[in-house]
Amino acid sequence: MVALTIDGRKVEAGAGSTVLDAALAAGIEIPRLCHHPELTAWGGCRLCLVEVEGQQAPVPSCGLAAAAGMVVITHSEQLEAHRREVLDLLLSDHPLNCVICEKAGACDLQRYAYEFGLSESSHEKEIARKLYQDENAFLVRDHQYCILCTRCVRVCEEIVGASAIEVAQRGFEAFVATPFDAPLVETPCTFCGNCVQVCPTAALVPVDRIGKGREWDLTRTRTVCPYCGTGCGIEVATRGGEIVSVSGYGAPANGEFLCTKGRFGLGFVGHPDRLRRPLIRRDLAYSLGLIDTPPPAALGRSPLGRSPAAGETHVEVDWEIALDLVADRLAAVVKESGPDAFAGIGSALCTNEDNYIFQKLVRGVIGTNNVDLCARV
Amino acid sequence: MTNSIREIRDTDCILVIGSNTGEAHPVISYEVVRATRRGATLIVIDPRKISLTRHAALHLRPAPGTDHALYLGMLNAIVTRGWLDREFVGGRTEGFEALAAHLEAWAPEVAAAACGVPAEQIVEAARLYALGLRRTAAEGGESAPPRGASTILYGMGITERSNGTELVKTLANLAMVTGQIGRPSTGVNPLRGQVNVQGGCDMGCLPNVYPGYQQVADPAVRAKFARAWAQRQSQAGRELTMPEAPGLTFIEMIRAAADGRIRAMYIMGQNLMMTNPDATLMERAMRSLEFLVVQEIFLTETAQLAHVVLPAASFAEKSGTFTNTERRMQLIRPFARPPGEARPDWAILCEVGRRLGRRLRRPLRWAYGSAAEVMREVAALCSIFGGITHERLETVGLQWPCPSPEHPGTLFLHAEQFSRGRGRFHATSPAPPFEPTDDAYPLVLSTGRILYHYNGGPMTRRAAPLDWREPRAYAEIHPDDAARAGVRDGQACLVSSRRGSIRVQARVGGVVPPGMIYVPFHFREAAANLLTHADGLDAGAKTPEFKFAAVRLERLRAERSGAAGGSHPPPE
Repeated sequence: MVALTIDGRKVEAGAGSTVLDAALAAGIEIPRLCHHPELTAWGGCRLCLVEVEGQQAPVPSCGLAAAAGMVVITHSEQLEAHRREVLDLLLSDHPLNCVICEKAGACDLQRYAYEFGLSESSHEKEIARKLYQDENAFLVRDHQYCILCTRCVRVCEEIVGASAIEVAQRGFEAFVATPFDAPLVETPCTFCGNCVQVCPTAALVPVDRIGKGREWDLTRTRTVCPYCGTGCGIEVATRGGEIVSVSGYGAPANGEFLCTKGRFGLGFVGHPDRLRRPLIRRDLAYSLGLIDTPPPAALGRSPLGRSPAAGETHVEVDWEIALDLVADRLAAVVKESGPDAFAGIGSALCTNEDNYIFQKLVRGVIGTNNVDLCARV
Repeated sequence: MTNSIREIRDTDCILVIGSNTGEAHPVISYEVVRATRRGATLIVIDPRKISLTRHAALHLRPAPGTDHALYLGMLNAIVTRGWLDREFVGGRTEGFEALAAHLEAWAPEVAAAACGVPAEQIVEAARLYALGLRRTAAEGGESAPPRGASTILYGMGITERSNGTELVKTLANLAMVTGQIGRPSTGVNPLRGQVNVQGGCDMGCLPNVYPGYQQVADPAVRAKFARAWAQRQSQAGRELTMPEAPGLTFIEMIRAAADGRIRAMYIMGQNLMMTNPDATLMERAMRSLEFLVVQEIFLTETAQLAHVVLPAASFAEKSGTFTNTERRMQLIRPFARPPGEARPDWAILCEVGRRLGRRLRRPLRWAYGSAAEVMREVAALCSIFGGITHERLETVGLQWPCPSPEHPGTLFLHAEQFSRGRGRFHATSPAPPFEPTDDAYPLVLSTGRILYHYNGGPMTRRAAPLDWREPRAYAEIHPDDAARAGVRDGQACLVSSRRGSIRVQARVGGVVPPGMIYVPFHFREAAANLLTHADGLDAGAKTPEFKFAAVRLERLRAERSGAAGGSHPPPE
């Protein structure tokens, strides 16, 4: 631990902390745009400059190692004027169409502009980057909103390990690009969308989020991704029960990062193919007198051939009919052939509670240990 | 996993074995990437050139099915060159002498001849892993640093094998002989494939154990559950007896169904027509059943065969818990309403339990007000989950063992001692795959996942961006094998085994070594599991060998090319 003074307060910082880390840990807010706690410091946005006693010019606090006895000022008239100028310049190159922007309400640039009272830029307005790339089904790259903070470039290299994007060209011409400006599918991009997650503006937006609602219209629910065994925490943003976007939020297993399935793979939830009512196979329904159309040939076809049309193999019935039928048939088998003529398969996709009740049903009611799940297959 | 996901970033040396982590567990691969950026040494052992090899210091490519020899060669090098942790071996383990004697026959040169990996690479991997050497330490000639932390991450490339249990024991030998277990950032870490495969096992959906791994064979355990489940406590002892014999395992059930010994099945959320080996056998088994109930969210390939299909709520529409690969139980919360009349699985099962209990005169208690109430019952009956409640999980997940309400959960296992006391070394020997290649079927088929899809595909193929990215089945083929068969990159080709054949798009390149074909199993129209076999199960775990089947590759005649597809009877 090292002890330093920030804004007149004695602050303790852990080994390896930066001045920015120490300030944030002490609850002292410093404006910043390119900084991200999980990524290496870049120092490019110049918003987090602080004054350090004994040093002539202000220094970026994100790259400044906290040292014992350091005396730091984070807010002064000079620093505020400097930050205002940085923001003023950023706004001169950024569309101020917040009224229709997908990111409004969650945009870091908008937030700082608000805090500094900047409604427009005092400089001549000129948007440097006008490229709009929507060549894939996952995310849109709308370069006019990009402020070149390089968070996306760093997350892709440092966390994902894909290094699919980099800053191309220099100065006013600079933009975030793939090698040779190829479409993302032709790069090592894994469409994990962690670049979208760390983007402070609307430069990177999920395709499916566009037009689905303002940030403040969304309900956010923290849950667990339904795919692999990593168990990533996800925050699902919905509007009227419909999924708008998925993001990470800082859960134990994954921090705020996700993969392509967790972020872009939940479309199955509201899919029209979802089962809505219990079903009985047509031959059984026919023999029970529930329908008078004889069973179709489709019942004999392999399910790995053509997909059946809706209603081709089964008919919908009420829960009462289905549940009683299940109980009648299972009871008949157990009574005739004993409990070991039954087998149950639980699910690696269902909850602990579901699986607990499943094996209770098999062991407790049917009376067999013929219960397994796909762990071994 | 013995250890936790977040510990990986602080590891000094990582051994990734039989896991395409970047595609099957992408977020865990981010931890590996972070570790390598901090200077950790990454060693990948896999016949395929997986995405993580880009960050690896060493990529060992044993011929498919021969890697067991490689691990024995590493063990030999560790023991003979003095890289073992004598203190750990002496204080925490037993059976080392027998292992050491067994390993004498496995000099790195012998292993190299068996697996095709050069002996120097085997020795180097052994040194880096045993000593936990970071890249700088490995290259620099500086004086020996203290032993670093090494971890083993392994996947289905180890377990979906006819000798998977022996392979896992061999990896445990590696960890124990070097003391690379029981500390942070070490361990033997299986990366489990499905969101709650850990939890399903934890909850006793296994034929030999009750929830919390309590043995079916133990009369006291059976009596405890009988008492807890009985509707009327006073009558419990007299009325409710729990079955004593262990049940059938998955593939045994399928075979029993196919030959009529199993007459009825109840399948919850499992599309075995797509995800299990030998789909033709699966279909025959399902059609042989007098009564099949499938509880599902879609009319999957398996549900299509069911007499009754019960519509379930998905993870998005219910409360409950999932347990991840690091034993962390986490709360899921609903964010949507179930479609139509779909209900949570546990609620459906309670309805069935009530009705069936009346008919079979085995009335149990089914009155749960919520999933949280179910978990309270689990905690009361299982000491390793004793301290877990939904209320506690509201703020953060808990890693079991978590025996009491104050217990913080367990980050890594085996800190002071192993579950059985001293860790036992097992002298293991390689065994050939069940179905070796031959002249008629000269290539090795391995199946598995790809980044954009999941299992039988009912979820991911209905997620538009994912299906846009990978819309069709394909086979990875080495250029030599493609040239021999006259198959060109991007064209449709025919892959056949003794059990069936599928038409897939050829992806010709260097991902697979010569002699190997890799086919993802997500695509119903070209189901890879028409080719795999359900024979030669692992003796311990009864797991099929998805990673090794003999196949042949053929060019398609013009009239047959076009869309991908599959067929049951093998072609002439």
